[in-house]
Amino acid sequence: MITITINNKEIKLEKPVTVLEAARSAGIKIPTLCWHEQLEIYGGCRLCLVEVEKMPRLQTACTLMVADGMVVRTETEQIADVRRGILEFLLINHPLDCPVCDKAGECELQDLVEKYGPAKGRYKEKKRKVPESFEDPLIVRNMERCIICTRCVRMCENVQGASAIAVINRGGHSHVEPFSGKRYDCEYCGNCISVCPVGAIMSRLHRHSYRPWQLTGKTETICPYCGVGCTLVLQVRDDSIKRVIPKMGAPVNNGLLCSRGKFGYEFVADKERLTTPLIRKNGILKKATWEEAITLVADTLKEIKDKSGSPAVAGIASPRCTNEDNYVFQKFMRVALGTNNIDSSARTGYAGAQRFIENIFGEGATANIISGLSNADSVLVIGGDPMAINPVLGLQIRACSRKGGSIITAGNVKGLKYFSPLKLQAELHSETILLEGLVSALKDKKGLSGSNKKLEAEIKDINISSEDVAKKCGVKKESFIKSVELLSGAAAPAIVLGKETVQSSGGSYKLLLAAAINYLINGRIYLLSERANEQGLLDMGCMPDSLPGHRPVALAEFRRRYESEWNAVINDKAGLSIFEMIDAAAKGSIKAMYVMGDNPAYNLPDSNAVEAALNNLDFLVVQDIFLTETGRLADVVLPALSWAEKDGTFTNMERRIQRLRKAVNREGMEDWKIVSEISKNMGVSLNYRDTEDIFKEISKVSPLYRGLTYEDIDKGSAVYPYKGEPLRSLTGDIQAHKGAGIVHGKLHVRLERPLFHSGTLSRRSPALIKISPEAVVKISPDTARALSIENGNIVMVSTKTGSLKLPVTIDKEVDSSYIMLTNNFEGKGAFSLMGYSIDPATGAPCIDNNEAIVERVKV
Amino acid sequence: MEKMLLKNIENPASADINEYKKSGGYRAVPKAAGYKPQEIIEMVKKAGLKGRGGAGFPVAMKWSFACADTKFPKYLLCNADEGEPGTFKDRPILEKNPHLLIEGMVISGYAIGAEFGYIYLRGEYPGAYHILNRAIAQAYENNFLGDDILGKGIKFHLVVHRGAGAYICGEETALIESLEGATGQPRIKPPFPVNAGFFAKPTVVNNVETLSNIPIIIEIGAEEYSKIGSPDCPGPKLYCVSGHVEKPGVYELPMGTTLRAIIYEHCGGIKGGKSLKAVIPGGITTPVFPADKIDCPMDFVNMPRHGSMLGSGAVIVMDETVCLVKVCHRALKFLEHESCGKCTPCREGTGWLRSILERIENGKGAEGDIELMLSVSENMMGKTFCPLGDGAASVVRNFIKHFRNEFEEHIKNSKCKMKN
Repeated sequence: MITITINNKEIKLEKPVTVLEAARSAGIKIPTLCWHEQLEIYGGCRLCLVEVEKMPRLQTACTLMVADGMVVRTETEQIADVRRGILEFLLINHPLDCPVCDKAGECELQDLVEKYGPAKGRYKEKKRKVPESFEDPLIVRNMERCIICTRCVRMCENVQGASAIAVINRGGHSHVEPFSGKRYDCEYCGNCISVCPVGAIMSRLHRHSYRPWQLTGKTETICPYCGVGCTLVLQVRDDSIKRVIPKMGAPVNNGLLCSRGKFGYEFVADKERLTTPLIRKNGILKKATWEEAITLVADTLKEIKDKSGSPAVAGIASPRCTNEDNYVFQKFMRVALGTNNIDSSARTGYAGAQRFIENIFGEGATANIISGLSNADSVLVIGGDPMAINPVLGLQIRACSRKGGSIITAGNVKGLKYFSPLKLQAELHSETILLEGLVSALKDKKGLSGSNKKLEAEIKDINISSEDVAKKCGVKKESFIKSVELLSGAAAPAIVLGKETVQSSGGSYKLLLAAAINYLINGRIYLLSERANEQGLLDMGCMPDSLPGHRPVALAEFRRRYESEWNAVINDKAGLSIFEMIDAAAKGSIKAMYVMGDNPAYNLPDSNAVEAALNNLDFLVVQDIFLTETGRLADVVLPALSWAEKDGTFTNMERRIQRLRKAVNREGMEDWKIVSEISKNMGVSLNYRDTEDIFKEISKVSPLYRGLTYEDIDKGSAVYPYKGEPLRSLTGDIQAHKGAGIVHGKLHVRLERPLFHSGTLSRRSPALIKISPEAVVKISPDTARALSIENGNIVMVSTKTGSLKLPVTIDKEVDSSYIMLTNNFEGKGAFSLMGYSIDPATGAPCIDNNEAIVERVKV
Repeated sequence: MEKMLLKNIENPASADINEYKKSGGYRAVPKAAGYKPQEIIEMVKKAGLKGRGGAGFPVAMKWSFACADTKFPKYLLCNADEGEPGTFKDRPILEKNPHLLIEGMVISGYAIGAEFGYIYLRGEYPGAYHILNRAIAQAYENNFLGDDILGKGIKFHLVVHRGAGAYICGEETALIESLEGATGQPRIKPPFPVNAGFFAKPTVVNNVETLSNIPIIIEIGAEEYSKIGSPDCPGPKLYCVSGHVEKPGVYELPMGTTLRAIIYEHCGGIKGGKSLKAVIPGGITTPVFPADKIDCPMDFVNMPRHGSMLGSGAVIVMDETVCLVKVCHRALKFLEHESCGKCTPCREGTGWLRSILERIENGKGAEGDIELMLSVSENMMGKTFCPLGDGAASVVRNFIKHFRNEFEEHIKNSKCKMKN
């Protein structure tokens, strides 16, 4: 126990902290500027100088560690003089342009001068002049206002790890710049903006459109983009979101954001948002009233169900919608339409992969706390770039590297390349050999413990030498051996698994191998998740074979429990997966489909074929916030409220349930409300007052959430396994499929999952479009040379399933065996070029076997 | 006094290892190898050697701190970033007697348990860079550097690193930052370099002259050494004298020689028989002396008693023709330029003081400017991150303290009378 005295107040401390922290813990305010809770100590601004007895000089409270018996004074005449002096220094070159500065009102310097500063300036010389920089489309730099606290630089370098900005020049000429001196070449996380105490680095998105005190709503909600589930604070003026800021201390992101979360909110106010329902009349979608639309949907669905039976109806749920939306949706499908034909785009990887892994290790195997990654001692990343897919999770891996952990990357993981990864870059289609090699080597090192007999039986015969690995997949032997050493010696290893592995030929077998590696090293698996509520919709039972809480629909015992709660009969036959639905639609056996908040005609591989299949339906209902590719095919389009306009909950990839809160008002209905209105019109009452009411039912019905309330969620205690019962014992046999071999020597199409885009939402966010404006095809320098193509040339990329005209970007990190495309831009989606086969074990599409022909288009 | 640090300096080939050996060089290495490292530290302690970089910190104490730290490896860095205006005392060692420094570093490395040393050399000494590299190569050839020096089981490797011109990199933690490849800015202390210095390992940073004293102590013994110069901080001292003296240059004299003796006995008095006006005794940031204070012995103990500091021993002599406002302005211009910008008072204060001084010197001074400068320097003093800002404040305060009338005249007459 350390006892110190600050301003005659005795403070007892468990462990040594800085004087500043000690003071804060006792409610004593010491002014600071360069200090920031997320950043390493700097000691530059000198505002926190305090008097310490027995020390000849004044000491900075932020750097000085407490010592037993220390006597500190923070409010003496001398300290008041010091603060006045320091603030005067800061102001001599700071323009007094508060009336036109967006920061005024929440500017830390302004507040401090108000409280401690001199009333009058004594500086008669010329102030430093630096023109404001508008070179960047998103971030404006006003270096006259900069006080060189370097928070932004420390954030960028030591927390975000982008190292995109630095202090340029020296002394009084110091200012902060990106290395180009102009536009930022960075990850656009905007975290520099979050920590800037003055108006030196600001977002251009809301420039001069508000004063901080005019921001009425300050709603805490969850980011609508990826599965990490960062807490965002939406700040609103006149019912329009002015800006998004992070929240310090929030459980997942603790004050950090990524480009999508920070800058991707403008879609909410997009002019092209759907405002009224649309009904197809004479082949054209025309505006209609809610009454017309709902009656039409209810009547038609009922008619088709009555005529063709329940199996002829299917529903697609949404990983962008809340748990409550999805719960009501699946209940509607099951109760009102009597079908288990409910699935979602989670089927494209996440759902099957999670099921596969849980089948080996038990339910909840992937529910690992994201921040824990930074404390791992080695992290193996397979099948995706966490910094692009789940950026804030990626930051934890970067933190792990910074703390001395080893990062091993299988595949091209761009976002970690400056974090000293050990690279195991297997050639295209040879990842299986690499993973087999790892299993084989780890088995030799660690031996089989016998605790998971089923898994051991699957891997006992795998035997590949490191030489073979090196030879067959082009991985450096030394790197391979070193990574085996690191993984086998790790005390707290983690495996981060991306969708590219799941979506490749033999995906389930690779999952088995990844699981085996995890088993051998006793690690934790993190499954990257591209959508905000991918996990939640699965938990809500939006799966053809599971009821809410992952209870198999096939088991009568479970079914009966839900039947009694829902007061309805549940179809005992498992439904179709999303891909089976598309096939059935193409064949005509499914006649009606209800798509809530997703865009299968764009988001599923072989999208041209999906479009044809959806066109073959008798009746397609699409409920979304924009008129998507799928919406354009619909018979009825129902406008929904967006994420910022509704309440509810999301469950993130670590299976933490968090609250969404309404920030802006808009006319219309939430997804769940629309669904219940339709249900009501079909004579099945789904009567809920609000989302909390729905959640009450969820926690009553689903054993996983037993007794869980919104209050628990608010307290932050809604972390898996909640208070409920997971199904740990229900493990079946392991079924994995090695997949067919793929012929090499041709160019294959590969999907790029970029940092700046997600699809439907991001393409309506002008800021993200400014950073990354168009779809391109990335090809290797060798391919470019072979085809005489230069950067920016337009090429035609053709595969068996379609063709696209795209500009070329030559990328050194692309290899000559493939080309890379994104699936984010309208009319330019990679999925139109990708045929697939289904992995029987995971139900996920394998999209890695698409040969492409690239030809230059003569302009 | 017989020259020890600059021994053999008149020999044009003094930088060559054979000439160095001929004059008795490299005898200290085998001798030191006969002692235990701890015994060498004891000798240095008994000799009373104080760091010659400016602060006068007891060398043996610094070494013991580094020895007490259990982390490995340890590093020995030689601070050859001689950047204080007026200072050129290390240059003759670097250029004329590099083997003395190398020998000193080998022994010091052995004493503190460092197997790697770096010489952080002032970027503006290109000659010294080549000379040092040649000397190091010769030392390797002759097995005075390497994995097993002279077969005595001592390992020491030495590399010269050139600075890029920042004055602040003479501050030891900024030097370490720069050596690591970062921007040269001082670090938060503690931890001190002796515990977490170069790459967070225990690191001793010593000045060129300091390290060059080590072979002498080994050679003549601590007792003999401690008899040289001032009893409180003994040893030979290099004084570099510039400005208005007949014979400016580097003088090796016993520590504690008075300023008067340096100027009038050794340097031949004021140039052209003019009268002395002021002396900056230890480099530009040490407090200026008016002419009547030059009887002070130049050492680490007596100078502070007389209101200044020995600093680097850089004596800048100014005769009656010098405008001290201009000198003060020039000093601040330098310090403003060299302020690293990390901390507020130094970054903003140096520029502010410089611009006021510029105005005064240009005849645009206003009433109250002197008080304002005193207040601004008070706001800097003791509040900056490192001594650079303190130095700047102290320059202004001391020039005003001793020569206030000159400042007042400038303001009153709206011009500098020294200007035509």
